[in-house]
This record gives sequence, structure tokens and C-alpha cells, in this order.
Amino acid sequence: MTDLGIVDLREIIRAIKSVYDYDFSNYALTSFKQRLERLMFRNSIPSPDILIKKLQEEPAFFDTFLYEISVPSTELFRDPSLWRWLREEYFQAAIEKNIGKFKIWLPGCVSGSELYSLSILLSETGLLDKVHIIASAISDKSIEKIKEGSHDTKKLEVSAENYKRFNGNKNFSTYYKDDRNCVFRDASLIGNVEFRKLNINFDNAPQNNKLILFRNNLIYFNPTLQERVLLLLHESLSGSGHLVLGIREKISGNIAIKDFEVINENESVYRKRILS
Amino acid sequence: MGYKAVIIGGSAGSFQVVTKILSALPKTFPIPVLLCLHRLKHVRSGFVEALSLKSNIPVEEPYDKDLLRPGKAYLAPANYHMYVELANRIALSTEDVVNHSRPSIDLSFVTAANAYREKLVGIILSGANKDGAWGLKKVHDNGGIAIVQDPQECEVKTMTQSALQLTRVDCVYTTDQIIGFLLKIK
Repeated sequence: MTDLGIVDLREIIRAIKSVYDYDFSNYALTSFKQRLERLMFRNSIPSPDILIKKLQEEPAFFDTFLYEISVPSTELFRDPSLWRWLREEYFQAAIEKNIGKFKIWLPGCVSGSELYSLSILLSETGLLDKVHIIASAISDKSIEKIKEGSHDTKKLEVSAENYKRFNGNKNFSTYYKDDRNCVFRDASLIGNVEFRKLNINFDNAPQNNKLILFRNNLIYFNPTLQERVLLLLHESLSGSGHLVLGIREKISGNIAIKDFEVINENESVYRKRILS
Repeated sequence: MGYKAVIIGGSAGSFQVVTKILSALPKTFPIPVLLCLHRLKHVRSGFVEALSLKSNIPVEEPYDKDLLRPGKAYLAPANYHMYVELANRIALSTEDVVNHSRPSIDLSFVTAANAYREKLVGIILSGANKDGAWGLKKVHDNGGIAIVQDPQECEVKTMTQSALQLTRVDCVYTTDQIIGFLLKIK
């Protein structure tokens, strides 16, 4: 694999900014470098110059770029204890109190694992028709893949183990169709989900969300962008709306005290604070 | 030589050795210690608590973008890769498994080698797969010190032997010699 230096990374970021007006300069550098190297390897791109040329000359390739630069969630029901908490301590009460559809936003979908986990939970608790889920991804390719329900077979085993720890009430295999080497999820689960492409500046964020699931996405940003995105998420939450981050992601500094209160420290669940 | 960090890789089986090392380091150990040890993906708690029991320096599982501080040990959290980011920060990642592992020792070592170059001490302990061999090579290639625990001392030798096959390491040390080396770091 090509080993990209800092100068290469800056050149690539600059080229993307000038052609597409997407600014990756506040992405966490180590992960971004690693992801770029992987993308170049997978697409047989031998050097940063050729990558830049391809990006400049082939707009269709940019969507592939956006898809491959994003890190997918690792498996279904990652951190089963969070999903149990959502089922047992959160959803029933929150949705009962709510008037109209309960709005849930997933801003950072890549493979759709979080979306499917959420849909399975809501389906098993009979709440699926009481919610309005908006799933956002930065690439069209992500949205296509999620809609068709294709799933990485390598992740199936861990997902099934997680589902057991989540104490789901079905046989996990009922959510899958095996088609030779490919596994398809039951796409009827996401029939009512609204897909909305999101650019990396979060310009078109849906508003008034009761719940935002944004786990293990902030880790790919530097602290400057993390803070900016957290403020945007804060704005897009309804009063006392909840935000779930990855368990090793933390809201710290000024934003923490002013804008969010911790609801469940172990599972990184926060609630929007309303200043009176 | 002014080292800036120590990074240690091993599997859960190297727990005793890591404990022995942490109990020998003084409270005033002058640089951060990064620990990347293979562990079960779904068991989040217990490991850091167990390591803390006998350690003289605080051991913690970092949050993403935490600053690395001298005299502290950072244990890669379950089901995350742990990188060293520029500006002396930790970065976590949920990237695919490497050598069936997340955390992967290779990824932690490579990113640390990129960040600290010749000012890094990399140590590979006992372990059951070849994860870490490539990472230790990168430590060595960047001018850092590459140390492997003496395979004779290891219950499971795959990790140390893979590292020795791939790189002409600087030292093959017993646990006591590793401790002796670390205690000389100023």
C-alpha cells in the first residue's frame, strides 16, 4: 500500500475542496490517511497525483470516494447493553409521552447496521409505526447499499452474538436471507425510513429530532470539527431531545456543561439542556 | 536518548507481565505508556480495573482525542483500535479488524511510530497470533527501539517469534530486563 505523507494528504484535501467544496481538513488525520490508503489500494490507484486527477476528472468517482472514506459501523447491536437500555428504560416512556410521530435521526449511516439494529428493536416492541426515522449518509452508494440490505457476511457471527446479549425475542436468522455468498437483511424493516443525503457540512440537517443516534462518527473528526458538529446536533434536537454517542466518545469542554446533561454515562447518552 | 512514549503489545495472556512492568514503574515515570492488549470485544469492564490494582501509575481506557500525559498508562478499549494522533492525542477507530483483532497491535504501533519516530520504545510480549510483528517493524524502520520479550519466557510464542522473524530487533529481553531498560528512561 502507498504510504501517504502529510504533504500528500494536504494536496488531496485541497483538490477536493476546490472541485467539490467539501472540506476534509478537520478530519482526524490518522484515520483519514489510513482510509485514503485503503481506498487507493482497492481502486488500484498507485499515487496521490493519480487520485487527484481521477477526482478532478470523474465526478462519478467522487461518490465512491465518499463511500469508501467513511468507516462503517462494526456490526449489528454493537454494545448490546445500550440497546437493552433503549428498549427497557427509554423508548416506551418517551414514545408514549410524545404527540405525533417520534422523530429519530441517524446522521452518519454507512453500512446501515445501526439503522437495522434500531428497526429490529422497534419492530419487536411494536413501536415501529410510531416513529419517523431519517437516515442520512454522505454518499448515494451508502443509501443504495442500505436499501438493498446487503450485509458483510464476516460480521454476521458477531452480530448474532450481540443479538443474543440484547435478548431479542426472535431467532436472529429470521432477519436474514442467505443468497449464496451474500447475506441480505430483511429490507421490509426499513420500508418507512426516510433517506436523506447529507453533505459533510451538515447543511441540510433535519430539525426537531427527539433522538439522534451518532455513535462512533465523531472519532473521525478533530476536536475543532467535533465541537462544530456537536453544536449542529444540539440545534437539530428538540427540547430535551437525546443524543447517543459511542461509548468512548465524550462531550467535553464548554459544550458539555452548557448544552448537554449526561443521562447514562456508561452508554454515552446525553440530553439537550434547555437554558431558562 | 529522550524517548517520548512506550508502547506495549501482547494478548490477554501477557497480563501477568504487564502487571509486573506497571508495578515496577515509578509514579514519576516521565513519559506515557500505551498498552494494546488483545481482549474480548464484548467485555468492556474489568480489564483496566485489574491492571490498576498493582500499578504505580494510573491506568485508564482513553476517550477519543484525550491528550497523552507523562506517567500515565493508556489501555486500548474493547472493540476499538487505538491510534496515536498528531499533537500528542489518542484517536480511536472502529475500522475493520486486523489479524482478527480490534484493538490491533499493528495499527497502534504503526500510528505511534509515525507520531514519535525515533523517540518511541516498542515492546512485544507473549501472544497467540502474528499481530504486532508488522507494527514493531515500523517502530524499528522509523528509528525507534524495538524490543521483544524472550520467547523462552513466553507461554505462547507466536507473537514474539513472528516479530523476530520480520525484524532485526534491538533487544530480546526477559521481563526483568525490560523493566531495567524502562527504569533508565529519563
